Amino acid sequence: MKAKKIDHVGIVVKDLEAAIATYQSNFGFEADRSRGGAVPAMGIRNAFIPVGESDLELFESTASEGPVAKFAQERGEGVFMISIEVDDVAAAVEHLRGLGARVGDPSPAGVAFVSMKSTHGVNLHLVQRTPAEPGG
Amino acid sequence: MSIGATHIDHIVISSNDSAATAELFATNLGIEIKRTMSRPGTRAHLEFAKLQEVVLEFAGPGEVQPYDEVKARLSGFVLAVPDIDAAVAELRSRGVDVGEPHAAVQPGAKLAGIRSGTNGVPLALIQYGALPLPAGEGA
Repeated sequence: MKAKKIDHVGIVVKDLEAAIATYQSNFGFEADRSRGGAVPAMGIRNAFIPVGESDLELFESTASEGPVAKFAQERGEGVFMISIEVDDVAAAVEHLRGLGARVGDPSPAGVAFVSMKSTHGVNLHLVQRTPAEPGG
Repeated sequence: MSIGATHIDHIVISSNDSAATAELFATNLGIEIKRTMSRPGTRAHLEFAKLQEVVLEFAGPGEVQPYDEVKARLSGFVLAVPDIDAAVAELRSRGVDVGEPHAAVQPGAKLAGIRSGTNGVPLALIQYGALPLPAGEGA
């Protein structure tokens, strides 16, 4: 497995639009409005703010349950997770499982969640942005 | 106006045993620990890995105390800016509480912590090449 780069850093906020405005006002960051929005299956709304080769992903919980809701209830706002881009998420999952890590199956969008029991408690996601190369 | 942040410079992962957490991430993610640092007086043990432009900084105590399990957490990140004094002045003009820029552990770099206006995220700014390098620490 080869980690390519930090894809994004996830931040839980109470009010998504207010947070977008704060990051724009204070830091001059502009949200990429072509991405993000409501994700009912995950109980969130999100927005992406490009910073260099990575993104900040802002999460607002829209449900009373789920990881983002739990984080918001316990800690309020703050850094929630990091996502690392890999060449081949299926191979990465297989690699990590071979090392004894607990990892969920990759989603159709190419995202896999690594159990926090296998990361010393850090919320870590893997993501594949481009199709894996044949034989890679 | 913008503070001119060019990228996320590093992400800090705090742990009660930073060497163990760094080793776990290095093994699992196939990344290389490029540098370790246990400077007397800092009471911290730091290990660094780099993923393209972003450094993962594993931070922990200089002397690891006995523990039942390693516990780590994401404790914030740092934005690179080309002119930290100008960025700090810009943030302060908007009412953001920012600490005074000071020498960072990274040779030649200055760092300033941001204490408000980040939606709960421990955030800091860093400028490389802001200070003369210590003798014997060339680029």
